[in-house]
Amino acid sequence: MITDKPLVPQGPELRAPVSGRLVLGSLVLAYLATQLPWPDGIRWLIPDFTLLVLLYWCIHAPHRANLGLALFLGLLTDFTLGGLLGQHALTYTLAAFAALTLRRRLENFQVSGRALHLVPIFFGQQTLTLLLGLAFHLPDVDWRFLIAGLFAAPVWIPVAHVLDRLTGWTNNMNIEPADKGALTRGGARLQNGGRSMK
Amino acid sequence: MAHAPMFARAMGLPTRLALYCLFSLALMVVDSHYGPWTGLRSVAVRLVYPVQVVLSKPFEFLGEAGDFFTVHGKLVKENQQLILQSQIFASRLQGYAAIKQENEQLRKLLNLPSPPGTRPLVAEIVRVQPDPFDRRVIIDRGAADGVEAGRPVVDASGLIGQVTRVYPASSEISLLTAKEQAAPVQNERNGLRLIVSGTGTDDQLEVRYLDMHADVKPGDVLVTSGIDGVFPPGIPTARVLQVEPPRQTPFAKVICQPIGEIERHRHVLVLIRTEARK
Repeated sequence: MITDKPLVPQGPELRAPVSGRLVLGSLVLAYLATQLPWPDGIRWLIPDFTLLVLLYWCIHAPHRANLGLALFLGLLTDFTLGGLLGQHALTYTLAAFAALTLRRRLENFQVSGRALHLVPIFFGQQTLTLLLGLAFHLPDVDWRFLIAGLFAAPVWIPVAHVLDRLTGWTNNMNIEPADKGALTRGGARLQNGGRSMK
Repeated sequence: MAHAPMFARAMGLPTRLALYCLFSLALMVVDSHYGPWTGLRSVAVRLVYPVQVVLSKPFEFLGEAGDFFTVHGKLVKENQQLILQSQIFASRLQGYAAIKQENEQLRKLLNLPSPPGTRPLVAEIVRVQPDPFDRRVIIDRGAADGVEAGRPVVDASGLIGQVTRVYPASSEISLLTAKEQAAPVQNERNGLRLIVSGTGTDDQLEVRYLDMHADVKPGDVLVTSGIDGVFPPGIPTARVLQVEPPRQTPFAKVICQPIGEIERHRHVLVLIRTEARK
């Protein structure tokens, strides 16, 4: 099978693995940002920055950010909020799983494309969190908090741009085959090769 | 963490997902059915609380910076102290007014015990929990200052909530406006006993399941009755705005406005027990 993408990373794709310090540092910053005392009026609009950054690392550094990390961060959030224990742990784990499953596909997209893929994950996570709270915890919920789930994807875009810059990630992954003509003669269709990414 | 070995016999992603999900679900079931894990929680909160306090500092500073430039810093400090003092005095006065309002003769006849010995403790709200389910705030006083779970929380004008969780140096207040929160009250005008509950909005309380013939009128003031043994009697709680006649149910509903200025101040008073009563 001929693919336009070499199995072994080459050229600009061959990057050093993301350092654990960067992953940890960005997650700590994101956690602190979530904990800031946001004004009352816009609290329901504030996305969960911890989840934003966690999903970024699930996509771009799966050897660092795995399901265990998601579970740990979820428990940390649960302890901080003082709500139901395990609520965020479960939803973070599911969101991380979705991101880990999607990540091969996402690598072919620009940041905005990736963010678009993440919309259902963010929204689903927020919905599930509210539903779990509704089922286990308290019979009443402020549904405005759902908007935070929708708002998370647009916020993810600048965050992803900054982290892309820090890790040296580029979308320029598709290395042009040495002899394009040979490939097309061989009948192989270039799925992504035709797309020019800068 | 090391890189994953190429041919490891590790658990697959779905297996781990299932395992973690089961773990979280078990946690939720245990947490919601077998009471809060106060031990575990208090350890976690002790670790998280300093972070929250530090994070709230820059916002406080921004808020105070304006004052600093317009008014002399010393004056601000003095003013703050005076406000605190006036709040303490107001809460004491509140108690006296309540005692006056009660029928002293009846109390003598019934030989009721004196109102529970409480002492106001000034606490500062350090954080409002961003919880879509509940209305809770965190104050900077905890078990070390004598706060106990269940103690009422008031401000200068009336009842605003109840302490629901106590940690070593902080505690959590459930506001009266939370949907789960209720307080036994008495109509000041005629002594009718009612239970007022929160509605989940800031400026509204309600009395649910009221007898359709009950004597409640707009303008009535509801004060705590004290029969639950939690809230001391006589704390102003709500003012009746409107009585909704029964429509499809056999019960009327009363819409009230909380008297305590909920979510409008940074300082609250926790009525803690005096030592003598222990």
